[in-house]
Amino acid sequence: MATDQELSDFLKSVEKRAFKRTVYAVRDEEAALDIVQDSMIRLAERYADRPAAEWPMLFQRIMSNATMDWFRRQKVRSAVVQNLSDFEGGDDGDEFDLLESLQTADGMLGAESAADLVSREQILLVIEAEIAELPARQREAFLLRYWEEFDVAETAEVMGCSEGSVKTHCSRAVHALAKALRAKGITP
Amino acid sequence: MLETLEARVAAQLAAGLNERATGVPHDIAERLRIGRQQALLRARQRRVALAAAAGVVNAGGAGAVASLGRTGGLWVALASWLPLAVLIAGLVLIQQWATQEQVMAAAEIDAVLLADDLPPAAWTDPGFREYLKAPPP
Repeated sequence: MATDQELSDFLKSVEKRAFKRTVYAVRDEEAALDIVQDSMIRLAERYADRPAAEWPMLFQRIMSNATMDWFRRQKVRSAVVQNLSDFEGGDDGDEFDLLESLQTADGMLGAESAADLVSREQILLVIEAEIAELPARQREAFLLRYWEEFDVAETAEVMGCSEGSVKTHCSRAVHALAKALRAKGITP
Repeated sequence: MLETLEARVAAQLAAGLNERATGVPHDIAERLRIGRQQALLRARQRRVALAAAAGVVNAGGAGAVASLGRTGGLWVALASWLPLAVLIAGLVLIQQWATQEQVMAAAEIDAVLLADDLPPAAWTDPGFREYLKAPPP
């Protein structure tokens, strides 16, 4: 059985990322704090006795459900519809060169030449803003896969979709971010 | 190659997000800390409650076993069926008593009618019924 210290360490390790992820989704810091706090309490009340290795997945599921509950309570139907339905995005038809954008985005944070145009802090702000603009499923897949460092199977389980869908969402998210950053002139 | 490039770009973006996440404002960090402490408190309360409930169940189970012994199961089964048996028996008795009462009442009326001087046909006479309803002079 996991100890209080283990639970404390786990919550401490995820709380800030959880807060930021929720802010990207709900765009309201107060609401995000409530959701994260509520999720931590739910995890502690229901699953504190489970092995610590199960907590990351459980916490992400609880967070997703709490966020959806928040949307339902707010009755922001348009936001929900927008966030849940636009898997396809609007960039399938243009002649955008994905590879070129990815190559452009690769190394942007470590390149000194980028700092000549936009400071590093500003680049990070732009990245955050663009992630917040991603369709909800793409954002969730991207953040779980690359920020929370879940593997494809775990991400699929948390999101309740197939592994193929996770790969598609992640790929589209990375391409959309690379394209958006390139459009803002963030280049190495 | 494309997947490798995607993963590399994603890793850089995630590193940037980490950088931003570690620098959340102090008030936000404090509120997250308070939320974490509340969650830990709830976890402790739940553990205490579960331990207490387990103690009660164990004590109750041990007491029942000690008092009833090996035949405890039979007695418990009998005790659970006894109220239902009593209820059914009571309903049957009430039914029989009500039937008996109806029979006795009908017999009493018949006996009075047959023993009276008044012929039974008089009871169907409207004038005689009015006479009976009228107050005595």
